[in-house]
Amino acid sequence: MNRKINFILILASLAMLWGCYPQGPDYAEEMDVVFTTHNDEYDFAGKATFALPDRIVKITGNLEDGEDPEFIPDVTATKILKMIEDNMTALGWQKVDVAANPDLFLFPASWETTTVFYWYDYWGWWYGGYYPGWGYGGYYPPYYMYSSYTTGSIMMTLIDPDVVGGNGNPLPQWTGVISGLLTGVFDQARVEKAIDKAFTISPYLQTN
Amino acid sequence: MKKIYTIIVIALLAVPAFAQSNYTSLQYSIGFGAGEMKDFIGQVSFRGFTIDYRSMVRQDLGVGLDMGWNVFYEEKGDDVYEYGNITYSGKQWHYSNHFPILFAVDYYKQTNGKLTPYAGFGLGTMYSLQNTDMGTYTFERDAWHFAVRPELGVLINASPGLDFTILAKYYYGLKAGDLPAQGYFTLNFGFVFGQF
Repeated sequence: MNRKINFILILASLAMLWGCYPQGPDYAEEMDVVFTTHNDEYDFAGKATFALPDRIVKITGNLEDGEDPEFIPDVTATKILKMIEDNMTALGWQKVDVAANPDLFLFPASWETTTVFYWYDYWGWWYGGYYPGWGYGGYYPPYYMYSSYTTGSIMMTLIDPDVVGGNGNPLPQWTGVISGLLTGVFDQARVEKAIDKAFTISPYLQTN
Repeated sequence: MKKIYTIIVIALLAVPAFAQSNYTSLQYSIGFGAGEMKDFIGQVSFRGFTIDYRSMVRQDLGVGLDMGWNVFYEEKGDDVYEYGNITYSGKQWHYSNHFPILFAVDYYKQTNGKLTPYAGFGLGTMYSLQNTDMGTYTFERDAWHFAVRPELGVLINASPGLDFTILAKYYYGLKAGDLPAQGYFTLNFGFVFGQF
């Protein structure tokens, strides 16, 4: 009888190993993830200028035709846009106005949805007068699992207006994503570190 | 996880009655990755157990089942990882779970002392589940491998009714599904219930 009890006790002890299953991060900062993807056939070095809007839209996934998008607060957007501009400048790019025929557009966004579809209409307020044909029925090319972006992620996309897909909409040549850092209190140091990282790990963006 | 629970239930159901010429051994198992498994996780695993059952078909020959679980874990540093034209930066946490289910044959060297050395071979399957966690994302891969397992051990009759075993195993699952070949050594310490 004692042997059976011992057997059960030992078996229970071994089963308790399940309770020791290793855990992951201890601190919120350890959850910070940056990822980038790019078209490795695109010649960034041969370009020189980019345009950047002065507001950051929220990609909510439910924007109706003709509606204006939502924006993140200006006080936050200004800081983020400055970080992006500084990084692009450090890589040799010159910021120009949207009307100055830039080589690339940099579309910054705050991701607020889990939908796959990503309509260009979110920036129609900015480029609409110059590129009126964009944004009708096109969806963002599925470069990498947009469906699983964390809400509150910052997304930066570089688009060449002269390189368009089959639906007539321009294709992204580079995308950088800062995962989840716009949720809760805005932590400027963490956001800046992450944005810097997105450009640091994309050395091919260097232009002459 | 459903597969994992299924394996555990099978393992528990397989625990036999304490009959003559059968024994069951419950073992604590320490794991050491090898080959590509070690590339994924270099840390030693201190989380694992094995349930061995043997029916003694001869005095020097036992056949039965070998089932268990070993989980390997490693926290990687804040680094840059590249997959094709996608680059990730951040910390990663690697997990690798292995659940072997093998038919086993052991040969026991007959001695007059308290120690009975044995050597054996196992053949069967191994379910592997690997996760790479990064931020709120997890990248999961799994596979059922065809698996082999040599082992060397010793049964220790410490006193009447109190038996132990110490043994070393090497599990090797061939490349399957999403995963490359998975190999790891284990060093096991266990209690033995039954008669050998």
